[in-house]
Amino acid sequence: MIKLVNVKKVFPGTVTPAVNEISFEINEGNICVFVGPSGCGKTTILRMINRLLEPTDGDIYIKGQKVKDLGVNPDQLRREIGYVIQQIGLMPHRTIEQNVALVPRLLKWPENKIKPRVKYLLEMVGLEPDKVSKKYPYQLSGGMMQRVGVARALAADPPIMLMDEPFGAVDPILREKLQDEFLKLQKEMKKTICFVTHDINEAIKMGDHIVIMNKGKLVQHGTPMEILANPVNDFVKNLLGVDRGTKLLELTKSEEMVERAEEIPTEISNKNCFILAIDPVQRALELMMKKDADIVGVHDGNKFIGTISWENIKKHINRISGDEA
Amino acid sequence: MMLLNSGFRWFVYFYEEYLGFVSFIFRRFDQVLEYSLNHFSLVLTVTIFSLILWISLGLLISRYEKLANTAFGIGNILFVIPSISMFGVFITIPMLGLGRTSATLALVLYAMMPMVRNVYRGIKSVEWPIIEAGRGMGMSARQILFQIQIPIAWPVIFAGIRITVVMITGIATVATYIGERNLGRFIHHGIARESADMIIAGAILVSIIAVIMDYVLGKIEHRITSPGLRNKEEL
Repeated sequence: MIKLVNVKKVFPGTVTPAVNEISFEINEGNICVFVGPSGCGKTTILRMINRLLEPTDGDIYIKGQKVKDLGVNPDQLRREIGYVIQQIGLMPHRTIEQNVALVPRLLKWPENKIKPRVKYLLEMVGLEPDKVSKKYPYQLSGGMMQRVGVARALAADPPIMLMDEPFGAVDPILREKLQDEFLKLQKEMKKTICFVTHDINEAIKMGDHIVIMNKGKLVQHGTPMEILANPVNDFVKNLLGVDRGTKLLELTKSEEMVERAEEIPTEISNKNCFILAIDPVQRALELMMKKDADIVGVHDGNKFIGTISWENIKKHINRISGDEA
Repeated sequence: MMLLNSGFRWFVYFYEEYLGFVSFIFRRFDQVLEYSLNHFSLVLTVTIFSLILWISLGLLISRYEKLANTAFGIGNILFVIPSISMFGVFITIPMLGLGRTSATLALVLYAMMPMVRNVYRGIKSVEWPIIEAGRGMGMSARQILFQIQIPIAWPVIFAGIRITVVMITGIATVATYIGERNLGRFIHHGIARESADMIIAGAILVSIIAVIMDYVLGKIEHRITSPGLRNKEEL
């Protein structure tokens, strides 16, 4: 859907490239997360995709077409790409309704189509249209504004969304909530999303695909699992943190680690510790600690399929991050 | 009865001593009206020209930053020239001479500093993320200027306009020396004849015009400014 080929960006007046020879591809319907320390060039990439910046060298393709050739006017391109930034940037002099309707109005949608669309979007992001649509941004809380920002970016139903630390300015509890809600939305919307963050946990949670960057260079890219299991160098290891192994357990479904068994061992039935096949392995670990057990049973629906043991998890973690133990 | 009588006497004394300008105004009402209208129409003309000229210039220098300091420099220099000498210089220039043209031109030049500066400051006060979001969503430069920057800058731009109008109303009195028949004439003649009533009458009428103009502009500002910006200050 989006493809970068040897993209390079050197800002005027600087020598070191902000983005250096980067190539990768983002599949349709995926969330691709760019992660790295500040100044690593992740935002620059985002801004090159919708042509707020032009690359010094290399090409960016959307649906196989060079963005450079997509219309003479970059404004036209940007109207078809959703854009959310950390500071949100709601228009303070416009009502919430007018803010959300911004892109549809730029695209000259008929008014009778805009009104229901705004209502639908506000409901979708968890706001009450009757209460907020006539309000001005200053009357909303930070979390509500962030939701309006997302609704505004989705207004014209763009196939691609660019999100630059969209949940960076809210408190951790709310961030978690907004992330969950957004993932739920994404399941239905299936947008192609470029997501920038400096928070590796957010990257692991949100990303179908993670691109790790440092000093303008692409360090590693792959699925969260691939990256957690095989970090290419110390930079990536440090970024992932020492708890890399347990993070991986969060992503691993129990059914992937289950030892198949037909009968329920007595230890398990005595302590009554069972988890579901779709639960992350971390749930198993938690249950073991809570019930003081060494082994838990795994159910798929109503059917018992096998067990996960403490020994097994330990081996698994050692295999991943054993070199540090 | 005694008390009432003395009260009345006191009032007459007070009126003659301190409110003589009131009877002056009533006595010369035709003239007061003529001068006031002249004064008002001069200020109005100057304001209209200044709005067109200086708002455009302010917008221009907010886009071409390099011009900003030059424009501010010129504005400042013009602003510190004593008004009487500026009028004096203009009447020596052929085509301008005595009268309204010189007066209008000089006052428009005075308006440059406060207006250009406030337009520039207002436009620059629009926070970066708002403009970035606008661009990112595909607004053209023109749409960003007219739909984001100017509306958000309105309160600051308007403050500049209000200051300018009040200031021009004051300085316009000096134009009487180059043939404007406005309220400055009462002050001018009052000084020549050592008549405090005339001076006070002139000064008070000028103030009234200034206050009314400021009030009306305030109402217009309130109407034009989005409630989303207005309430921010009240919070």
